[in-house]
Amino acid sequence: MSAELKHKQATAPAVQVRGLNVVYATNQGDLPAVRQVDLDIEARKITGIIGESGSGKSTLVMAMMNAVGKPGQIVSGSVEVLGVGDMLSIDRERQRKARGKELGLVFQAAQNSLNPLRRIGHQVLDLGRSHDVKDLRDLLRKAKDLLTRLGMDADRVLASYQHELSGGMRQRVGIMFALILDAKIVILDEATTALDMLSQASVLEIVRELHKERGLTTILVTHDMGVVADMADRVVVMYGGEIVEEGPSEFVLSHPAHPYTQGLVRAIPRISGDIDRAVPLQGAPADLKTYLEPGCPFYQRCPVAMPKCQESRPTSLAVSQDRKVACFKVTDHD
Amino acid sequence: MSMRLPKTVLHNRSAKSNYRQSFWAFAWQTIVKKPGRLIGFIIILLFTFMGIFGPYLYPAQLPINPNAIYAPISWQYPLGADFEGTSNLALVITGARYVLFAAAMGAVFTVAFGTILGLCAGYFIGWTDSVIMRITDFILTIPSFPLLVVLSTVWNFGQPVAMGFVLGITGWGGLARAVRSQTMSLRERGFIEAARGLGLSPLYILFREILPNVGSYIAMNLLLSVTGSIYAEVGLFFLGVVPFQVNNWGVMLNLAVFSAGAMSSPQALPYLLSPMLAILILTLGIVLFLDALDEMFNPRLRGV
Amino acid sequence: MKIVMIRFVKRLIAGLIMILVVASFTFLLVRLMPGDPVQAKYDQLLLNGLTPIQAMDEVRVMYGFIPHQPLWIQYVHYLSQILHLNLGQSISYEGTPVMRIILGAAPWTIILVLTGTIASFIVGVLAGVIAAIKRNSLAGSAITISGSVLHGIPLFVMALFLAYVLTTIYAILPFGAPYNAALTPGFNGPFLSSLARHALLPVFTYALSSYGGWLLTMKSSVISVLGDDFILASEVRGLKTSTRIGYIAHNAILPLFTILALSIGFMFGGSLFIEDIFDYPGLGNLLVNAINSRDYPLMSGAFLLITVAVIASNIITDFLYSVVDPRIRR
Repeated sequence: MSAELKHKQATAPAVQVRGLNVVYATNQGDLPAVRQVDLDIEARKITGIIGESGSGKSTLVMAMMNAVGKPGQIVSGSVEVLGVGDMLSIDRERQRKARGKELGLVFQAAQNSLNPLRRIGHQVLDLGRSHDVKDLRDLLRKAKDLLTRLGMDADRVLASYQHELSGGMRQRVGIMFALILDAKIVILDEATTALDMLSQASVLEIVRELHKERGLTTILVTHDMGVVADMADRVVVMYGGEIVEEGPSEFVLSHPAHPYTQGLVRAIPRISGDIDRAVPLQGAPADLKTYLEPGCPFYQRCPVAMPKCQESRPTSLAVSQDRKVACFKVTDHD
Repeated sequence: MSMRLPKTVLHNRSAKSNYRQSFWAFAWQTIVKKPGRLIGFIIILLFTFMGIFGPYLYPAQLPINPNAIYAPISWQYPLGADFEGTSNLALVITGARYVLFAAAMGAVFTVAFGTILGLCAGYFIGWTDSVIMRITDFILTIPSFPLLVVLSTVWNFGQPVAMGFVLGITGWGGLARAVRSQTMSLRERGFIEAARGLGLSPLYILFREILPNVGSYIAMNLLLSVTGSIYAEVGLFFLGVVPFQVNNWGVMLNLAVFSAGAMSSPQALPYLLSPMLAILILTLGIVLFLDALDEMFNPRLRGV
Repeated sequence: MKIVMIRFVKRLIAGLIMILVVASFTFLLVRLMPGDPVQAKYDQLLLNGLTPIQAMDEVRVMYGFIPHQPLWIQYVHYLSQILHLNLGQSISYEGTPVMRIILGAAPWTIILVLTGTIASFIVGVLAGVIAAIKRNSLAGSAITISGSVLHGIPLFVMALFLAYVLTTIYAILPFGAPYNAALTPGFNGPFLSSLARHALLPVFTYALSSYGGWLLTMKSSVISVLGDDFILASEVRGLKTSTRIGYIAHNAILPLFTILALSIGFMFGGSLFIEDIFDYPGLGNLLVNAINSRDYPLMSGAFLLITVAVIASNIITDFLYSVVDPRIRR
């Protein structure tokens, strides 16, 4: 009993999302982008968040930092970050301090995440000053170490402007910026998508090393099942702004429960296997109409849909100790 | 095959006329959507009407009246009278033709030069581009209004077409540059590359494939050039560097300020204000209407 | 830095070529003018009883070239005179060298244009930033509308309006000369304040005429920078608001430098109206008067100097731009 309690405390979630709703204001009304999401991000683990474009995965991580850009708007919910508090309700200055220092984000367009008119080194110093870093020399030394580890000529990079670096180099500089203030929670939002296969593999390898070394909590947002299979301890599958399945990645990938996850897994072309065996997902991704319907967002494309699925929305229920699925077919068994 | 060809042509034509019809219907809807646009449209129509029929509404020699010199605003003289007792309203209306016709010609020439040179520079690139762009830089650098003033010493501005031509020559630089950069980005697009691959002639590609895609920008500039041309020509007459051959708004301004002393004698003020009012109202109309034009031609705004 | 210098030298050469072209243009303009003023003057001098040689000398002094010679010899002579900074003699100012008249007028225009440009740039850019940041509020729309309206009003209408209001209705500002003629020019208080008071109206008009343009361009520039990814990134990295505003302002203001060059040309063009309406003795006034009195040497000279001033400002603007934008330095 007490052993179990201890175990639970040790694995207190690094981020605890509760009842999160984000909408995008459009001319045709509010479009829900993240709907009623509850999610625990386990500390010191790599969590993969996977889904098609438009599934709300990027919006979800931006909401974790309370940095959803207009016209997006967080309607309700809380994001409890370990050691910080609820990102959605603490005062702005504490939010700002938490960004970068506690939560490091490398986002989708990381190639364009640098001020084109300032040298990288100056931008490192700007960052340090914004977070009241006392020893700026030390900060530069850290930047150099990170850049060297990421396989770059650190001195040259720090003296460069953005336009003097290639896309892949900028992406790595973006990763450096997310790690330099020793953030314990690091979010990589499609951070390696723009890289070629070889650099992607090497960057992911470095991320894995740093994750272990520093005891990070890493969130990997991607649409690439291969990356999740390779890296993640846990996987969260999103569809139409909702979490449809989550659990340890090895189980989810070997025995997907939700028909959408099953579709995703089947769609992976194995290099060793036969390309004909990869089955593309039928139908179009969720759109505005899907969001407004009362039923399951996956209903239109679901191969095993039941009449019930059109009428009401399945909620996410635990099917085993650490696995949740939102599908009547799976949860209604008994 | 030979039987099918005319059929397709016929089919195309009817599709085209359908499209035309729906475009005009769409244009009208866009205009009436906001009252401001409708007001702008009406102002432009009114001034066009004034330019075409204005001179026919009055005798060729406007009546003078020694008893009504600088007459104040009244029913008989809705905008007052000038130094000879001629109605200011009559002067504004009859003076519109030269101003508007020259401005329209100026806009047409500006847009024609700017579009053709911009298209050629952007499509043929290489040395054609370099030569055209050097000339464009030159035109953009030379201050155009002083150039117009100097040209007025050798060029006869009596004919509106002549005025329009010179306005076009000095004013095409900015448009050419913008059209060039749009053409450059278009020529890299798939459909233009496909047309090149099919061996279509550059002329065909330029005028049938690229021109329609920069059409919206050109339409906007046509209207903007009208205001620019009005300012420039009225300015020339106002400064008095161009010999007065016909009555127009610029001549009125010049006489009001430099002969009638409207700046110091309040009685001559209506004479000064009448042409100004005409210019400001027309500008307002064009600015209001531009908004509608923007929506009509800008696909990003359409249907929003 | 080397690349900046190469760019600068290239621009300088291009500028010199432009000046050459403009000089050739004024030469041809006067030479090919209907009724050929050079020939007419020569004939008139002969009628006045001068010998052909005397008349020729007189005409050469006046226009910088000699009649009765092949066009290209006249042209070469004219250009060499320009290189010696000799622009001939004025007709309306009886025999005064054109250069002296122009140099007397140039400072008034150049100082006024530069002051007006700088003032409108600063105010317009600041207003543009506010209009962009508060674009959904009443104040923001009000600022934007003020810009559009001022941008749309023709310069001469604006100048006439201001002259009428500020010198006729409320005679609060002086009109005409650049300073009170009763004062002795020099570095003394009364003279300087008189200078400033006389310059206020034209400078204000210059500034008002280009304020709207700066405001509207800066507003759209700021809005486009606000949508840039690196601004979002700086927020996500928790940069201080002041640092972020610095990033935005720096990036938004750069595109305006390219427009600065065009604006200066526009301002010099505007000097014709402003100086004519306010009767201010600068280059624009000189050009208009020269044309009205058919003083062709003075006209060519004034036009040439206005062009040189615009080209020089363009080169300086471009140089400044290449210094502040690292992307050009490479």
